[in-house]
Order: sequence, then C-alpha cells, then structure tokens
Amino acid sequence: MKQDDIQKNENILYAGIDLGTSRSSISASNGTRQWIESYVGWPKDFIAAQVVGKPVLFGAEALQNRLSLDLCRPLEHGVIKEGISRNEEAVKDIIKYLIELAEPAPDQKIFAVVGVPADTLKVNKLAIRKAVTDFVHSLMVVTEPFAVAYGMNLLNNSLVIDIGAGTTDFCIMHGTIPSEDDQKTILTAGDYIDDQLYSYLIEKYPGSRFNKNMVRQFKEQYSFVRDLDEDIRVEIPVAGKPVMHDIKNEIKRACESILPALTETTIEMIARFDPEFQVKIKNNIVLAGGGSLIRGIKEYLQDALKEYGPCNVTCVQDPLFAGSDGAIKLAKDMPVKYWEPL
Amino acid sequence: MKRFFPWNKEQRVRKDILRGVYEENLRIVGKGPAVIYKTRFYSAKRLMLPFLISLMILMFQESFVPTPMQQRSQITANTFQKAYQPSAGGVSEEGPSNYKSFISSPGMPISRIFGLGVRTIMIDPGHGGNDTGTKGEMGTKEKDIALDIAKRLRDRLKKYGNYNIVLTRDSDVTVPLNRRVEMAKASKADLFLSIHLNYLPSRPINIIETYYFGPSSDPKILKLAEQENAESSYGNSDFREIIGKIGDTMKLQESKEFAASIQKKLFMNMRKETGTAYNFGVKRAPFVVLLGVDVPSVLAEVSCLSSKEEEVQLNTESHRENIARYLELGILEYLNKGDVTHEARRHTEK
Ligand SMILES: Nc1ncnc2c1ncn2[C@@H]1O[C@H](COP(=O)(O)OP(=O)(O)O)[C@@H](O)[C@H]1O
Ligand SMILES: [Mg+2]
Ligand SMILES: [Zn+2]
Repeated sequence: MKQDDIQKNENILYAGIDLGTSRSSISASNGTRQWIESYVGWPKDFIAAQVVGKPVLFGAEALQNRLSLDLCRPLEHGVIKEGISRNEEAVKDIIKYLIELAEPAPDQKIFAVVGVPADTLKVNKLAIRKAVTDFVHSLMVVTEPFAVAYGMNLLNNSLVIDIGAGTTDFCIMHGTIPSEDDQKTILTAGDYIDDQLYSYLIEKYPGSRFNKNMVRQFKEQYSFVRDLDEDIRVEIPVAGKPVMHDIKNEIKRACESILPALTETTIEMIARFDPEFQVKIKNNIVLAGGGSLIRGIKEYLQDALKEYGPCNVTCVQDPLFAGSDGAIKLAKDMPVKYWEPL
Repeated sequence: MKRFFPWNKEQRVRKDILRGVYEENLRIVGKGPAVIYKTRFYSAKRLMLPFLISLMILMFQESFVPTPMQQRSQITANTFQKAYQPSAGGVSEEGPSNYKSFISSPGMPISRIFGLGVRTIMIDPGHGGNDTGTKGEMGTKEKDIALDIAKRLRDRLKKYGNYNIVLTRDSDVTVPLNRRVEMAKASKADLFLSIHLNYLPSRPINIIETYYFGPSSDPKILKLAEQENAESSYGNSDFREIIGKIGDTMKLQESKEFAASIQKKLFMNMRKETGTAYNFGVKRAPFVVLLGVDVPSVLAEVSCLSSKEEEVQLNTESHRENIARYLELGILEYLNKGDVTHEARRHTEK
C-alpha cells in the first residue's frame, strides 16, 4: 500500500473500532487487537469509589463489581439507549478505553474508523461522532456489517448478516456504499435467545436457580440448531447440592427462536433486487457476529434458501474481530486527503 | 473469495466506496454534498414508483371533483347531532359551532366515533432535505429534530399494536407539501400530526402552540403560516377564498379537539420537565398541510429554537424522547376521549 510511507512519516496510528451491543473491539495499525464487553460502570457513591478504586470500570471487571456500580450497556438495543442519561458518556468512555488499549505513542495522530450497528448510525450519527472526537484526530463512522463486508472484500453482490447480541444487522453490498435501504436491523439476536432460554429453563426446572449470566454461558457453550448427536447436561445447584440438568431441548428451541425472522428478513432483503443479482447475492451470504457461532445455523439458512435456487452461506473466521479488522482495512485504504482534522 | 469483476473494476468500486464513506461522514456533520448514491440495480420499489406517481396524480385529481355531499349532510345532520357531542376541550378561541356539516368532509373516518379497531396515524415531520426549516443559534435544524421526534413517536405508538403509523418522510429528504397531503390520502390516514419547531427572534423563550386549520387575522400567525407554507405555491390571500368555502366542518371540530389534547399534554409535561415552557395555546392558521388533509389534522410547534436553553436540551436524546412521549399522550387522550375505561384507568393512575 502506497500509504505506508505516509503513515510512518506522519506518525499516524490507524484504528478500526467495532462498537458492539455486547462486545466492542479495536484493531490498530501497531498490531494491537483487543476486545471488551460493552459494559461501563461508575461507582455508585464515594464509598463504592473507594471499594473499586477507579472512577470507571469496563467489561468483565465492571460486571464483577456490579453491586458497587451504576452499570450501563449503552448500545443494548442497537441504539444509544434512551432514558439513561449516562449513555452518551458511556460510549465515550468505551472508545477512550479501547484507544488506550491500543497504546498509541504520545505524539501519534489517530485516524479511526468506527463501525456501529446500522440503526445507531441512523439515529445517533452525531452523538457517536461527538463521543469519539475527543480522542482521535480524524474519524469516519460506518455501519458494522458494512465494515465486515469491506474487510472481507465483499464489495459487490453479497449479503452480510451480523448476528450480534442486541441486534441482527443485514447489509447488501452492490458496489457502492450501502444506503439505508440496503440495510436492515432486527431485534432477534443473542439477547433474545438468552431471554427465551431463561424462560424455558425456569419453566422446566422451577426449583433450580438460574440467572441470565449463567444462561448466556450455557448458550455460548452449547448453542446449536436442528440436530446434534450429543447430550447437553449442566450442573446447577438445587438446595445447595449440584444436580445434573438436561437442557438440550431448551438450547435447541431457544436458538431456533431467531430463525424465522432471520430467514424472512434474508429473503425480503434479497427479493428487492432483480433476479440476476439475486442469484449472485445468494451465492455470497456471509454470517458474522457471535451468533454465527451457533452450530448448524449456516446449514439451516442455506437449506431454507435452497427453495429459491442454489445458494452459498459462509461464516466469518473470527467473529470477535471481523468488524474492527474491516474497519482498520477501511482506515488504511482511505486516501489521505479524506482524513480531515476534526 | 469469489470475485465477479476484473481487478481494475474492483479498484474503481473500492475507490467509489471509500469516497462514499467520506462523503457520508461529511453529511453527518452537515458539511457534505447531498449526494444520494445510485443503486446500479433496480429494486422492486423503483419499479413501483411510476405506478405510485400515476396513482397519486389520479387521487389528486379526484380530490378536486366536487361531491354532492353537502346536500346529504343536511338530511342526516340531526340524527348525528344527538349521537355525537364533542366536549368543550378547554379552548376559548374558535369559530361558530356548526354540526350540520358533520359528514360534509368526505374523507372523515368514523373510526373514532364508533371506536373501531385499527387506526392509521400519519406523522409529518416538518421540512426536510433542501428545506431546513428554522435553525437555532448552535446550528440545530428544525428538520432534523422534527424527524427524530417523529420517529420516536412512531416507535412509541407502534408498541400498542393496534395503530398503523405512517411517516411522511423517514429520512432527510425534501417532500413537497402537496405530496404530504397525497400521502395522507393514499394511506387512508385517520389522524394527521405535523411536527414543527418554533422560532421567535424577539422572544428567546420556549413557546408551545398547536394549530388547526382556519382563518387568522393575527399578523404573527400569518407570518408563521407563510414560513411553514414557504415551498407551496399558495400565498395567504389564496386561503381567504378557500376558508370561506370550507366553512366549519366536522374535520375542523375534530381537529380542534385533537389540537387541544396535544397542546395540553405537550405544554403541561414540558413545563413540568423544563420549568420554562410558555403556553401559547390552540390556534387557527392557514397551513397548507392542514387544509389538504381531510381528516383531523394539527400542526404542533413542539418546541422553540430561539430559546438557547431549549436548543441545548433538544440536542439531548432524553428531551426528544420526552417530547415524543408528550405527543403520544396527547394522541391517546384524543383517541380515548369519551372512552369510559380509559377515563377510569386514568383516574386510578391519577
Ligand atoms: N458460541 C456461541 N453461540 C451462540 N451465541 C454466541 C456464541 N458466542 C457468542 N455468542 C453471542 O453473540 C452475541 C455477541 O456477539 P457480537 O457479535 O459480539 O455482538 P455485538 O456486535 O452486538 O456486540 C452475544 O449474544 C453472545 O452471547
Ligand atoms: Mg458486532
Ligand atoms: Zn416548521
């Protein structure tokens, strides 16, 4: 890349940031790749501040100290969550923290591309930009599935489906920057599965103690749709004693609960285009996001779409970093003249 | 990875995309050219467009065909008069009450009166695209705030499941006033709410007022109407004639009630929230959109950009969400007027 020279001369750090509803990651041109859970917590009062010893905590650490903190997951529903006044502040803190994790040199300029859920970009454009501007020299905001598509060179004739926690984002690529029409967000995603699984489990085992966090871990460990040749049993304490619970059927039902909307929206997105282009897109469907790790989901979608002709569905290699890797590729490819100082 | 085009073409596509990202970001900060990227593939929507346009032309023409409704209304008016008694609504300023013309506006839905299920509510975020509307000192634009509030209101109303909500625009595009009117007709809207923001240079305070269609002799109101009607081809003088013709119809009675509910909820809650809102009440004004739509329709100036304080507030998510909530409350109050269970519920909630 021609720009490598310029990079060194001007001492620029390129950063690709994926601002997710549950996980956020950064990929930087100095080789750093880091991720955190998109939680921010501030000490509830001065006593809590003493206990946790920091003004702000992130990710897993924030979750562990939740009792002492005002905990915030700012993009929970795919947009900067309303009602809680500190959401904008939380987004800011996450960005600041991610950039710190990338350890830029003191005199380095930071050029960042930030990927956000498609709906966030629609609704909170300025808020997102405002949250980031304090920490970077120049900035571009794009939608998350677009960043994934760009990173994988899927510039044309493709559909990226990013199954995250709060939202599933669809993005059709046809050789231009996708318009709002080319993108769609639905709310059936990872969190939705968690809610379903939780309710199935308390229904089946009313005497056992589940919590949402446990349930999500079960899902992440055992998720599948359709058939699986193994048993799924987990140990859960009942009245103080660990007891084995069979949760296979509940895992299956919960994971499958997102399939109808997934299939419907996929078909709807593709159907908007003319038949020739439809065939091409169907051969180039890519699943991204944590939800793409559900066993059998790729095969399911492929079979569901076969009814409408041949198709090919693949999954990204590394769902945790596909977004930030795409964003940094965008950042590096972006002509220097486009990086305007803020 | 499959490639469907040769290398140099891919380079070109990539270049286009990168420029697209750059320009899109310029637009976000309000600096960019208003380029809309062309899709190289036609969508079903695009195929529908000529069809829709011809449909709208047809409907528009139809709306100018004089209907013999006036006579029929004379006969049936007495029967309806008993069944329907609008409440006073706490508005002082108004024209003559005349229920004779109860069904004289042909598009008047009876869904509210008879409590029928699904209702289509059309929300009309003012201005858009080239037409910015007013602008605050910090650069906040009426068109953006109106759109954001409209979307929030839509989402709130959708939650009830029994309202069909249609927006006249859901992005930053120019929509001529008569297009908005046609959309209300095409979607068979039962209710029409136009969202705007005020600006009174001489008074840097937050003024809340709600309008329904009618004559006005107040020069300030006429000035405002001129602003809001700016991109229509009508002037205030044209309206005098029109107003004379339409008289006091059911639509206007209902619009007044609707305006009263909106104004009440908006102002009361706004004052509670900010402590500094001024109630300018329900008024009549010759706004083009309100004239064209033949169902109850109001134009609410939900906030005021000449108040610096308010402009700052409008840039927070929570304030815009609150305004949407107040509008929601106003709509619900209007729709549920006379509904006993709703009244009861309201009392228990106090
Ligand atoms: N193996 C897995 N099976 C099913 N779901 C998973 C798995 N791993 C992670 N997830 C879920 O994916 C979601 C997070 O995906 P991610 O793409 O990081 O979301 P976002 O971009 O919205 O933050 C969470 O709901 C998480 O529980
Ligand atoms: Mg993501
Ligand atoms: Zn206006």
